[in-house]
Amino acid sequence: MSHEHDHGHDFPPMSSVKRWFITTNHKDVGILYLVTSIFVLLMGGVFALLMRVELFSPGLDFLSTAGAYNQAVSAHGLLMVFWFISPFATGFANYIVPLQIGADDLAFPRLNAMSYWAYLFSIVLFMISFFQGGTFAGGWTMYAPLNVPTYMPNVGGTTVVLALIMFVAAVTMGSVNFLTTFYRMRAPGLRMRDLPMFSMSWFLTVWMMLLAFAALLAALMILGAQHLLPVNYFNVDGGSLLWTHLFWFFGHPEVYIVFFPALGVMGEVFQTFTGRRLVGRKWFVLAMVLVALQSFIVWMHHMFLTGINLEIKTLFMVTTIGISLPFDLMVFSLIYTMIKGRIRFTTPFLFCLGALILFILGGITGVFLGAVVLDYEFRGTYWVVAHFHYVMFAGGTALVGGIYYWFPKMTGRMYDEFLGKLHFAIYFVGFNLLYFPMFSAWETPRRVFQYDTGMAFWHKVATVGAFMLGMSFLIMAYNLFKSMVDGEEAGDNPWEYASTAEWAVPSPPPLENFPGVPDYRGGSLSFRDESELRGETAADGGTATDGGTPAAETSAATGATASGGALATAEQALATQAVESEPDHADHASYWPVVVCFAGFVAFLGLSGIRTGDTLYYGLTATGGVLSAVGFVGMAQESFYVPEPEFAEKWPFEGVENMKLGMWFFLASDIVLFGGFIGSYLFLRVANGWEHWHHAFIPEAHVVMPGLINTYLLLGSSFAVVLALVAAEKNSSRGIVASLVATFLLGVGFLVNKGLEWQHLFHIHSEAFPNGWNLGTNIASSTFYLTTGLHGAHVVVGLIMLLYMVPRALFGAYTGEDQDSLEYFGLYWHFVDIVWLFLFPLFYIL
Amino acid sequence: MAHTKLYTGIFVVLMAFSTIQAVVEMTGLLDRAYWTAFGIIIVLSTIKAALVAGYFQHLRWEPPAVTYVALGGLFAALTLTTAAAYSIL
Repeated sequence: MSHEHDHGHDFPPMSSVKRWFITTNHKDVGILYLVTSIFVLLMGGVFALLMRVELFSPGLDFLSTAGAYNQAVSAHGLLMVFWFISPFATGFANYIVPLQIGADDLAFPRLNAMSYWAYLFSIVLFMISFFQGGTFAGGWTMYAPLNVPTYMPNVGGTTVVLALIMFVAAVTMGSVNFLTTFYRMRAPGLRMRDLPMFSMSWFLTVWMMLLAFAALLAALMILGAQHLLPVNYFNVDGGSLLWTHLFWFFGHPEVYIVFFPALGVMGEVFQTFTGRRLVGRKWFVLAMVLVALQSFIVWMHHMFLTGINLEIKTLFMVTTIGISLPFDLMVFSLIYTMIKGRIRFTTPFLFCLGALILFILGGITGVFLGAVVLDYEFRGTYWVVAHFHYVMFAGGTALVGGIYYWFPKMTGRMYDEFLGKLHFAIYFVGFNLLYFPMFSAWETPRRVFQYDTGMAFWHKVATVGAFMLGMSFLIMAYNLFKSMVDGEEAGDNPWEYASTAEWAVPSPPPLENFPGVPDYRGGSLSFRDESELRGETAADGGTATDGGTPAAETSAATGATASGGALATAEQALATQAVESEPDHADHASYWPVVVCFAGFVAFLGLSGIRTGDTLYYGLTATGGVLSAVGFVGMAQESFYVPEPEFAEKWPFEGVENMKLGMWFFLASDIVLFGGFIGSYLFLRVANGWEHWHHAFIPEAHVVMPGLINTYLLLGSSFAVVLALVAAEKNSSRGIVASLVATFLLGVGFLVNKGLEWQHLFHIHSEAFPNGWNLGTNIASSTFYLTTGLHGAHVVVGLIMLLYMVPRALFGAYTGEDQDSLEYFGLYWHFVDIVWLFLFPLFYIL
Repeated sequence: MAHTKLYTGIFVVLMAFSTIQAVVEMTGLLDRAYWTAFGIIIVLSTIKAALVAGYFQHLRWEPPAVTYVALGGLFAALTLTTAAAYSIL
């Protein structure tokens, strides 16, 4: 599966180990994600089997070490939910989405590589946690107060929290990248509504990821702070409930983040192997959009057994039942597609059909949990475990179908169909033997290894099923490895009715994907010559946009279609490319992403044990910090060429360049992060009595003036950035330097003023606060220092950027076209300013 | 498209509104009519944020979809905060 002839550019071949460390190409990164996540599946699967052995009979005492069962349960859940299933889908998305939408790569290839390396090193951090006095043992939902150091004192527990923070960073980088790509790099004529089903599902998934994971990041950063600093959050009045709110605000969209890519695979596979377009495709897509929106207003159905009020429980019961309706529509659409089409029972289809059946069972049993009264009975039992796996693992089942479906595209070889079907048969039987008995043994308490002996039979059956399911993957491994070596040649498109663009290019696709510019404006996919398109554009006075020409109902994407003599077949265009000079080819290699992420890993590993006082941990933290700085500067200095496509659909963001749009997506996620922090403060203040808070927890010495001065300083710094842009427009280097220096000084002034204020508060001696007002004095001090501290950290990041920008400005940077990066910095700095505009009244006045 | 005068005017308004917010506290309005003062202060902060986003971040001159991206994040944050706070009232 190598394409060594693909644009050399000193880019190593696939057989070179070096390539896999430096590649930024989306297909390579996709393969890295897939391989790594399958490794995680193996790890998570082993923990599951350990649990099932323990549960074979009550009191077996197989996992006899103290806390071993709790650790196995937690590690299994965390690995499967976070580090396996979503990254597995991310692997497919990396490989397939750019091909399906007609892009050469993702918008930010180095960011894509960084996303992968952050993911990989977060796994390494997680694995190290086992050797730091034991890993996190509080379940995958990490409920408070069990998650705080008092009850989770081992260093490994802290490491897992930090590993999750690193994982969320990876997810956020990926979301920003994919969203920018979707909006700015679609082939001409490909409207958003016409995205192929897998791409459509991934588009909605990354939207949910962007916003939901930011809430989790807030929760994890607060928890991380509680592990590293003497702050009180999840161990105070209202703290446990606060964790559940933050976690499930992320956690319920996460269910759809996991399931949507699987729905996308099912959509593709059902269409290909029934030879029919999805019945009611438009309604199917609308239903998905509806679910993506509704997913953010159902989270409290996970909290029916907490102390939240009955009104909100009832409201969330209604929204929960409501979200099942669009799913009904999707299920019926898939069923009718089978009825209307002619089914071919290939391995991918069998897995997707299996996934549909499992999901129907999971969906129906989930409706029970959405009803408040029934949930009182079922919560915390194996009913939840069974339902949860029938939904999440149904998604996993469709994704396994995805492996078989796209294996020929990725390798150029066909898998063995008999072995594929055998895998499915054992997998499906094993799956149902494992999980269905849990409905019978539903009264077994969740996360507990002891249970009533009357349920032992069902648990024995489940354990047998678990081993069947696990072993079935050995057949897949053998099949795929063997087929990769000596499977039949697959050709461009081994599936008769596959209609999406990835099947119109060779298997595996060349490095830069397409033999020309993919174009849907003629009604079907064609590959156009760039210079010809340029000529057409000049004649027409512009390119079509989303609201213009109807796009292809992509039925003929199985090869380039002749039209008007203007197009080239894949082979012709490849030949043309080979003889053309290649002055502006995109770069595909950078070693800085792995360097930066390794540095982050070292720093996080150091932070994990810093409270032990061990100098090794301090050393690691400092080394990681320095290496990070080197990495970021190296990356900024590196010449890395990524062309923005000249001919592409960019609705609704025409005129907003990729970098700016990426920055806005990042800021949207940062809004949710700060929203999580500020929301936590507001929630805890309500929980402790809004007006009582000020009188009981805040010292007299905490006055308005330091906050007002800092508001003036930050507003002044924002204005200075604006003046820098004005100077850039006037090509005034001196003006730019003066404005940036002013911004820097005002930012430093902000931090100095904050430092003085904090010092003062730390050392006050009043009757109410004889020992000062410190981080851990009370809940008000913890929320104050942590929220304004997060904001201060944003200011520090901005100042570090300025330290890089001022010297560059001295040498004439940021004038002319170069002023864009000045504007991107401004977007960040003004955002930090806006956040302060709310922190000031909330923490200093009200 | 330098709008130096406009930017300067907005900067002056931002500084003035910040001062008014502090004055509301210093004059004791918070003690006399807490929720009225609360409303005034939050409305002023919202106007300030809108001015910074609209003019300093140039949202006024960008396609509306860019504003919707930011509002999407804001909507998610407000949903979490208000529903969570309401759940314990």
